Amino acid sequence: MRPEQRTPIARYRHSLWLLTKRDLRVRYSTSLLGYFWSILDPLVMAGIYWFVFTQVLDRGMDHKPYIVFLLVALLPWMWFNGAISDCTRAFLREAKLIRSTRIPRTIWVNRLVLSKGIEFLASIPVLVLFAIIFGAQPGIDAVFFPLAIVIQAILTVGVGLLVAPLVVFFRDLERAVKLILRFLFYASPIIYGTTELPSELHFWAAFNPLSGIFSLYRSAFFPEQLDWFAVAVSAAVSLVFLGLGLLVFRRTERAVLKEI
Amino acid sequence: MVPVNQPSAAQPVISLQDVGIRFRRNRRGRRNFKDLFGPRKRRSRPGEFWALQHVTFSVQPGEAIGVVGRNGQGKSTLLKLVTGVVLPDEGTVHVTEGVAPLIEITGGFVDDLSVRDNVYLTAGLHGMTRKQVTARFDEIIEFAEIGDFIDTPYKHLSSGMKVRIAFAVISRLEEPILLVDEVLAVGDKAFREKCYRRIEELLAGGRTLFIVSHNERDLRRFCTRGLYLDKGDLVLDGSITDVLERYNADYGVKPA
Repeated sequence: MRPEQRTPIARYRHSLWLLTKRDLRVRYSTSLLGYFWSILDPLVMAGIYWFVFTQVLDRGMDHKPYIVFLLVALLPWMWFNGAISDCTRAFLREAKLIRSTRIPRTIWVNRLVLSKGIEFLASIPVLVLFAIIFGAQPGIDAVFFPLAIVIQAILTVGVGLLVAPLVVFFRDLERAVKLILRFLFYASPIIYGTTELPSELHFWAAFNPLSGIFSLYRSAFFPEQLDWFAVAVSAAVSLVFLGLGLLVFRRTERAVLKEI
Repeated sequence: MVPVNQPSAAQPVISLQDVGIRFRRNRRGRRNFKDLFGPRKRRSRPGEFWALQHVTFSVQPGEAIGVVGRNGQGKSTLLKLVTGVVLPDEGTVHVTEGVAPLIEITGGFVDDLSVRDNVYLTAGLHGMTRKQVTARFDEIIEFAEIGDFIDTPYKHLSSGMKVRIAFAVISRLEEPILLVDEVLAVGDKAFREKCYRRIEELLAGGRTLFIVSHNERDLRRFCTRGLYLDKGDLVLDGSITDVLERYNADYGVKPA
């Protein structure tokens, strides 16, 4: 009996799933609190921002409850942030495995996006819990949640495919990416809504693909946050990133394999 | 993909056409991001060299081939090209059947997971389904002789055990092509003999073998055909006896 002959796509899915499961298993089998940790991080951050903006600065009162307003963008941000910062080490961490198995190389990026995405999905019950506790009413726009997930997945894979190979050649990029991510956190509507930006920035803010994505997520509880222009732009920008990422990845693959 | 039982005697399973691959001479000298913006001189690429060039040969199913050459002459690179874990800069590598690579075999194993999880993971990454692994699981463990350590985290195994379990998994893949890169140098004598017998079993079963070794006895034991690599060129492609003779003549090693 030899390994079952399957289509390349089935094999790809199989390997992707195995590695994703491995990621999650390693993370949860080596820590006592497991799942709790992946929730704790955004919760602590949300708690801090909630305290600063509602108790100290007395702002953010237009969005009630503010904690739900925060979490609904903060949780997907954790997905994006976690996946991209892991992608900076996508090849370096798995060098041994990459040198010994012939798996399509895009898996090394995709499995990171997938495992962080699963953690994001697993954190949604927390959001629901907070919505119930603080009495946030989900509206009909909640149906756009899956659309937001799809656009975000496309964007994250695209950026990941771009970042992962380049870091192999330019180690400094690892730090640069961390810095850009920190900047992006404040440049994206997470602790505020797009409507609060000065009006001359509205147009430009839409070109941050995360704006449209977060506005989609948010519309579930805050319908006034939905901005279809931003969503359309972010979908387009995400596709451009995916195309660019695939191109760069393909171009650099040969050199990456030699380098690691 | 071609089904196993289809007669494909005329079809080579591995064929390399004018293959070349080059590496940077100072592999560790990475360029930094700031070099992109730095003065032109710092951006200039350090010298590169061809690890292999103009390599052309093809392998029929069932052949056993030994690759011979001194250190650093491209033997391992050749194996990696056939495995598909590096890509050639020129020419084409064509492998029509599945490959079980005994190269860096412990690479896929994860320290924090148990031996059981690792077996499923590694075999799975090489294309086996869960069901197939379950069917061979006992056999694998028995071969590796680590029955008492199935649920031990991999990092707690001795280095010998690590190699044993890795060999056991990869050699059970039963892919039509087996690539061996000096892994047999490790492990104690008894286990090594067991590995040899396993390889012979596989050969008898019609597998194609591709082996890199410095051990003449091993090469003569398994191989019928030899490839002699020197300075990145394929110098000689002939019977293993001829190849070893030429190699010994070139480098003044007394025949064993």
